[in-house]
Amino acid sequence: MSSTEQGTSSAAPAEPTTAPESAAAPEVPESFYYVHGKDKVVHKVSAGALQHSALIHGMISNLGYTEEQAKANPFPFENIDGDILQMVVDWCNQHKGKPTPPEDTNLPKQKEKLFDLVLAVNYLEIKELLTYCCKQVAMMVKGKSPEEIREIWMIPTDAEDEAAEKEAKKRAGKEAAGETAAAAGDAK
Amino acid sequence: MPFPILSTPHVVLSEIISLLEPNEIVTASFCSENLRRLLKSHFHQRKPSKWRLYMVDYDSNRHVEIFKPIRNSTTVMMAKNISELAGTAHRPNELRFSPEFPVIYSEDRLLGAKMIVDYVTDLFKLDVYGLCIDINGIWAIDWINNRQEKMLGSIALSKNSNYNWYGDEIMDYALRNARASDWFYITDNVFDNFRYNGKLGPADHLVINPSNHWVTIGNLMNFDFINISVSGSRISFSDLTSFLRQWRVGGSHRLAYLSLEFELDTIFENFDEDLEIVETTEVRKYRVEAEGDDSDYEIQGGYSIQRMDGVKATINCDLRLFLMVVWHA
Repeated sequence: MSSTEQGTSSAAPAEPTTAPESAAAPEVPESFYYVHGKDKVVHKVSAGALQHSALIHGMISNLGYTEEQAKANPFPFENIDGDILQMVVDWCNQHKGKPTPPEDTNLPKQKEKLFDLVLAVNYLEIKELLTYCCKQVAMMVKGKSPEEIREIWMIPTDAEDEAAEKEAKKRAGKEAAGETAAAAGDAK
Repeated sequence: MPFPILSTPHVVLSEIISLLEPNEIVTASFCSENLRRLLKSHFHQRKPSKWRLYMVDYDSNRHVEIFKPIRNSTTVMMAKNISELAGTAHRPNELRFSPEFPVIYSEDRLLGAKMIVDYVTDLFKLDVYGLCIDINGIWAIDWINNRQEKMLGSIALSKNSNYNWYGDEIMDYALRNARASDWFYITDNVFDNFRYNGKLGPADHLVINPSNHWVTIGNLMNFDFINISVSGSRISFSDLTSFLRQWRVGGSHRLAYLSLEFELDTIFENFDEDLEIVETTEVRKYRVEAEGDDSDYEIQGGYSIQRMDGVKATINCDLRLFLMVVWHA
């Protein structure tokens, strides 16, 4: 299976774009489900590809939807950006029914999307893809000094942590004082 | 492109940490106190029990290594003398970072070594498993015995060609005080007339090379190991018959494998009749079990000897080798 079309509206779900891999049709017709992200673009994905996601697999395993029902009830993932969901769907399609290799060359290359991809993959519980993504994150700091790691992983310095802690305490103090004053006002 | 690792869910953060190499984790722990606490907490909850932490104090080289299963060792932290640092004005115990691992530069050799061991063992919540030292590292035996309840797994007293010999007293002290549950490696330089009258073991493996001239038959009877491999032996044939006699009545009862390579040609005459040794043509396979490095061998023919309790052993010998394999049930 290949990637789905991008930018189609929810009324017209994107279809898989490649022909079946062999002429011999499977005995049992493959079932498809539909998912959409924040951008409402609906992706048609086979149940086989969705098996990678423990979350979705759990959701669909007992539904017994007909094609029409599945089309009418796409799974909404409002917390996932459309382009990220597209990457995930592509990956699931590429790895449908295949054993996952130890090193994956089909990983999305856009590093600026890695954080969002990690969150989405973690949410969708796609273990292999999460491991691949985490490997990329781990590789970022190979041979780097603590200062460089701080920049790459956006780790605050001790001084910044201290300042943030003070600020948080101050804010908590103010909030507590506000609540006390409000409670006193209510009592009057 | 930066990746805000601390904003990831706990499960993701744990996965990333588990994919880092030990030296990368140690380096990362110096990013901030907060990250160090977080890493420490990760390893305190998921103790990397398969990792083996080694302290090395050999020559001018003092470092901590970690062995992961099926991997080579990784040096995770090093201590060097401050004189190795260019320039004149340096802070005491100055910390620098190489691309591979952090290095502490200190005036006090022992302090530097202790600091790196303390830091790494605390971070990973690991005890020191192995100690590899030359004559200058003997101090570490007592230091480790006092700092952790768990006995060392492995100890290596290594030959250092910069020093002619250990010296009788130092070697005697090391042998008497070294405790390890799995391995003893002794690649020593000692005086020709050095003798040791104490015990060694119990542990699984003893390897002494290249020179084992100081090992007497009395030592061999007192060594408590499963596998013993020594080279440069000066033990005589008649001494070996005494050893076999003692073995038959229950001495060295854990012994499964003994290999003695002789310094000089040794003539094996007829064994005394009371040993009830018989020739055999049997070909048998045996395994020397060393964690992570089990090896299978074959022993062909030779002599068969039986202990009073029925346990048998096969002996092979030639001019420079005495090999004994015990067939424990």
